[in-house]
Amino acid sequence: MNMSSDLPLFSRRRILQGTSSGFGYLAFSALSTWAAEQGTAGGASPLAAKAPHFAPRAKRVIFLCMSGGPSHVDTFDYKPKLAADDGKESGRGRGGPATLLAPRFQFKQHGRSGLWISELFPNVANHADDLTLVRSMHTDLPNHPQAFSQMHTGTSQFVRPSLGSWALYGLGTLNENLPGFITINPPAQNGGAKNYGSAFLPAIYQGTKIGAAGFPGGGAGPGRRAAGGQETMSNISNPRYPAEVERTQLDFMQTLNRAKLQREGYDPQIEGVIQSNELAFRMQNVVPQVMDLAKETEATKKLYGLDNSATETFGRQCLMARRFAEAGVRFIEVSFGNWDQHRNLTADLERNCSAIDQPIAGLLTDLKQRGLLKDTLVMWGGEFGRTPHGQSGDGRDHNNKGFTLWMAGGGVKGGLSYGSTDDYGYEAVENKVHIHDWHATILAILGLDHEKLTYRYAGRDFRLTDVYGNVVKEIIA
Amino acid sequence: MKPVTVFLPSVALLALAPALSGADAGLSDEQSRFFERKIRPVLVEKCYDCHSASAKKVKGGLVLDTKDGTLQGGDNGPALVPGNIDDSLLIAAIRYGNKDMEMPPKGKLPDSVIADFETWVKMGAPDPRTGPTVADANTASAQWQKKEIDIAAGRSFWAFQPPKPSPTPTVKNTSWPKGDIDRFILARIEEKGLQPVADAGRLELLRRVTFDLTGLPPSPDLIQAYMKDTSPDAFARVVDNLLASERFGEYWGRHWLDVARYGESAGRDANVLYPFAWRYRDWVIDALNRDLPYNEFVKQQVAGDLLPFKDAADQSRKIIATGFLAIGSKPQNERNPRQFALELADEQIDTLSQSVLGITIACARCHDHKFDPIPQKDYYALAGIFLSSETLYGTNRGLQNQNASDLIDLGRESGMPAGFEGISPAQRAQLAGRLEEAKGTQAESFRTAQAARRAGKEADNLRLLALRQQIGTLSGELNRYDESGNPRILAMGVYDRPRPIDSPVFNRGEATQPGTVVPRGFVQVLFHETPPHVARGSGRLELAEWLASRDNPQTARVMVNRMWRWLFGRGIVPTVDNFGAMGEKPSHPELLDHLALRFMDHGWSIKKMVREIVLSRTYQLATLHAPQNFAADPENTLCWRMTSRTVDAESLRDAMLLVSGKLDLYPQEGSVVARASEGREGLFRLFTTLQEPRYDRSVYLPIVRDLVPEALSLFDFANPSLVTGDREATNVPAQSLYLLNNKQVQELSDAFARRVYASAKDQPGRIQFAFWTALGRAPTAEEIRAAYTFFSEYTQDAAKAKSKGSDLTPYAWSAFCQSLMASAEFRHLD
Repeated sequence: MNMSSDLPLFSRRRILQGTSSGFGYLAFSALSTWAAEQGTAGGASPLAAKAPHFAPRAKRVIFLCMSGGPSHVDTFDYKPKLAADDGKESGRGRGGPATLLAPRFQFKQHGRSGLWISELFPNVANHADDLTLVRSMHTDLPNHPQAFSQMHTGTSQFVRPSLGSWALYGLGTLNENLPGFITINPPAQNGGAKNYGSAFLPAIYQGTKIGAAGFPGGGAGPGRRAAGGQETMSNISNPRYPAEVERTQLDFMQTLNRAKLQREGYDPQIEGVIQSNELAFRMQNVVPQVMDLAKETEATKKLYGLDNSATETFGRQCLMARRFAEAGVRFIEVSFGNWDQHRNLTADLERNCSAIDQPIAGLLTDLKQRGLLKDTLVMWGGEFGRTPHGQSGDGRDHNNKGFTLWMAGGGVKGGLSYGSTDDYGYEAVENKVHIHDWHATILAILGLDHEKLTYRYAGRDFRLTDVYGNVVKEIIA
Repeated sequence: MKPVTVFLPSVALLALAPALSGADAGLSDEQSRFFERKIRPVLVEKCYDCHSASAKKVKGGLVLDTKDGTLQGGDNGPALVPGNIDDSLLIAAIRYGNKDMEMPPKGKLPDSVIADFETWVKMGAPDPRTGPTVADANTASAQWQKKEIDIAAGRSFWAFQPPKPSPTPTVKNTSWPKGDIDRFILARIEEKGLQPVADAGRLELLRRVTFDLTGLPPSPDLIQAYMKDTSPDAFARVVDNLLASERFGEYWGRHWLDVARYGESAGRDANVLYPFAWRYRDWVIDALNRDLPYNEFVKQQVAGDLLPFKDAADQSRKIIATGFLAIGSKPQNERNPRQFALELADEQIDTLSQSVLGITIACARCHDHKFDPIPQKDYYALAGIFLSSETLYGTNRGLQNQNASDLIDLGRESGMPAGFEGISPAQRAQLAGRLEEAKGTQAESFRTAQAARRAGKEADNLRLLALRQQIGTLSGELNRYDESGNPRILAMGVYDRPRPIDSPVFNRGEATQPGTVVPRGFVQVLFHETPPHVARGSGRLELAEWLASRDNPQTARVMVNRMWRWLFGRGIVPTVDNFGAMGEKPSHPELLDHLALRFMDHGWSIKKMVREIVLSRTYQLATLHAPQNFAADPENTLCWRMTSRTVDAESLRDAMLLVSGKLDLYPQEGSVVARASEGREGLFRLFTTLQEPRYDRSVYLPIVRDLVPEALSLFDFANPSLVTGDREATNVPAQSLYLLNNKQVQELSDAFARRVYASAKDQPGRIQFAFWTALGRAPTAEEIRAAYTFFSEYTQDAAKAKSKGSDLTPYAWSAFCQSLMASAEFRHLD
């Protein structure tokens, strides 16, 4: 809790309520304080870019969110002893004895750094020297809804703003013709909209959903639903009129609005509506353009695996993420489901990884080629990992005590393995990183002090990290 | 890794200790801050379990919860030597350098924390903790310095004082006020040397009050009748009619539902449905419509099950009222039952204290309230009351739901509708048969699994889980019907447990750390003297009676402030849910108390209070801009004009339905959530239903947490998991996109256009009708010109875009009508 920052932040909510996104508010002394504090030009909209607390390492985030809990011991956490002790008894099964299950796939060292990565990710492995594997992650609970919610909002017990909302609230956006926080194909289960909601933060900071989400409350089902169908944004295009006709309609509407404003003399809300209408009109022009991949070269499409039915969907979404990043969106999340391998581990992992390996590698390559990787933080991971012991023969159970997430690009050291689990990958033991620490670190990379990024609600200052969180300085370049 | 105890004599160290502790007395702020931020939290979190006076068993003779204890050290010697890292055992232990002494045993601290400890020791281990021992881990908990809360002093804070009458202020402009409200307001305006702006025009005022009281625009008929009525009490008559309309309860009921965080699903980890939440919604609407006195309104919501009743119908209504405590969001999948019980009670305390008392008692769950005089033990005194009550919210037990409960069967004699269809006796028998079969299969699978385990093999746990899920669903489904397949009359609510319990104070709010047990009771600071302990049952009835009594300093004050907020867009206390030290101060404290006293004197009648406020001249001011006033008071805290407000989500949608002639004022009984039934299957059925257009008032739309309809969620609808007395009013492009591009909006525009087209024979007549219907006024000459321009340009554009020969007239009129509904004027109240 930082008392010194109370005053300016406290006035912020009132400003947002009172002034929409209008202009001419320097009359509000509170706003001038706020604007001065934020180092922005006075009267800026709540989405305008704001100065971070300190020099940022990355300007934006692309979070590749793997819902369901991918197995770390088969992908990014190399455990030779687990391979050696295959079939030995482990006393840790749910409801009875269980035996250790060797990694289903071979690991090899990659890059100059020699990071161990499994054969499931041959293309991502080519970027080994850009990756920081955080192999000592842990989270509070081994259940999907709680862990997924904690990964997104820091807590499973309360309704709190999402990581992306906090980032947007702290930094504003770089392109006001686009939403500042976009989530592509978010799962509807495990908290659904809450995971990209702004909770008590003003609604303008909530994530904008792209893509048809699966059915709410549904568990992980096989097939297409993992990656979602064709991507759309709600109400982004007019089902009836082409743009020029809609423009005529809007002109009429804006004439009415301006006449109203003239009668009132001064009305920030009406000004706000006029502005919003214009912005919406531009957005409906810009968003489909950003989402339209037709102008990408064949080489780029191939890079993301758009030429292959297995990689096409996730590839398209990764490419879209790059386009959003390029266009100035602050926080982009792309979800891929179906990592809950209680059984059919081998086949499902092969299927999932072959659907995402090429697209992710393509994304990293593409960002690098365009000079974007140096200030874009790319993150990959799920809400928890899986147990070293087997389940139903060829499966693994949930494991919140130890798992791996990785980061690449802006702000993180490449070719680094940070922290570790025990010999079998069951529990993080060295340099443990809790989800709160991960959040604190992401904010730090974006130039935000997680203890200072607060919002006053219901009588107290809230943070993404509550009263926890340590920045993992060792992974920041 | 295991902690190893090594024995060393500590006699010499005892002698050294005072000298050491004397050396670093008088810490700089920086030193204290360093300790509080970096060191103490780690000690509390990582060490106190074994090394503090409150540890079950102090390990190694070492206590770290006092400065002296830390310096004296334990069996191994001093834990640290200020200034000397190498000789400090504590540093050696946390570095994990010595296999025999690795601390904390559960896992090495992050390097950054170890570095902090090293820095601290190098600084000379500055330690602000005084006193020989601290008995309670909580006392030293976290970053905060504990101070004993002085309740008696706390009572002097304005919000904890009972409302007191003030003489009505004298004003210079005696002809302006219509009543006392106006005198209180004008006096403050005059104090600043200002004048209120002119009164609102009659049409403007009619539109304002119709929206404010019913959430709908005035119909052209009402407008005509009102404009013809030139008698002095014409406006009062309109107000009385609006208050008598059922639309009032629907709109003001929704206000309360914001505060009561109304939702029809669990909303947290597993978003299972609450198919019977709608009964509470309908009860609220009905209570507002029959003007149930507010004190009674509160009392029934907290303890309706314990109140006397006339007949079965009356009793049922009162039980339904307690749904208030049952409809909150819950972590249904919480695996620890104690944790779940504490979360449930916490949600109830949080909601009740913010909604009725305007204070944030839940802040005292983990520690004494940091800003308000509410000690942690007051929180657990209240928690005892809720833990002694059984909350009944239904849901089927399943893999994602560890915490199902029963529902209340109100019985046929309640006369209440079921809200869903029955099944035939044969269907019911079939359902029962399927359940029996599943149970049989489960028993068999259990035996197989046990055999497998005995043989040292892995059991088929997944099959067992699947069966559990199936049985949960089937028995939940079966429980909805009586023996003959008729739907049971089910409700959410609260009952007293047979044996009440007192709650311990949980240190740091953690379920694993129960401390001293406190008797069930109330918040001390809200009483003139020491509050009584609970004498009967859970204490909920006494709690309800106290909330509803004139002696409660806050109940009336908080509610009149809410009403003021709903009518003016800003409360006299702007932080309507928090009157505590971190809330804002009232802009007009005397007026606030005056209103609270009037409210109670007039039998806690919400309708009377609303009437009094809207008949004030203050409410009837124009929204005009006045530069001098604006310079002095840009936020209009003085009420020198009416603040222009955004039409809320429900009113916007309802108004579109109304002007398009599509509004259905006779909603289907119950809720689509009830018809969808419970569980995942229910959610699946509901998901398809949610895509269909609906024409009933917004208050009847299903409010499934995290699945709030777009028409509401885009326009700052209250988050159904949080107490919301002060909705935001944001202005985002997504709203414009919705109004321009959404299919249902276009469908309503078409319907509105058909009405408009049929209303007159010519274009001027139609334009007139459209403006009167949508905006409650005639179009200006400029607007008529703009409309003509629009029609001609539109026809040209559309002709280019559309295939030749098709009739463009309907599209043009639809686009015209849509523009009116999407206009700033339609979306704002003057």
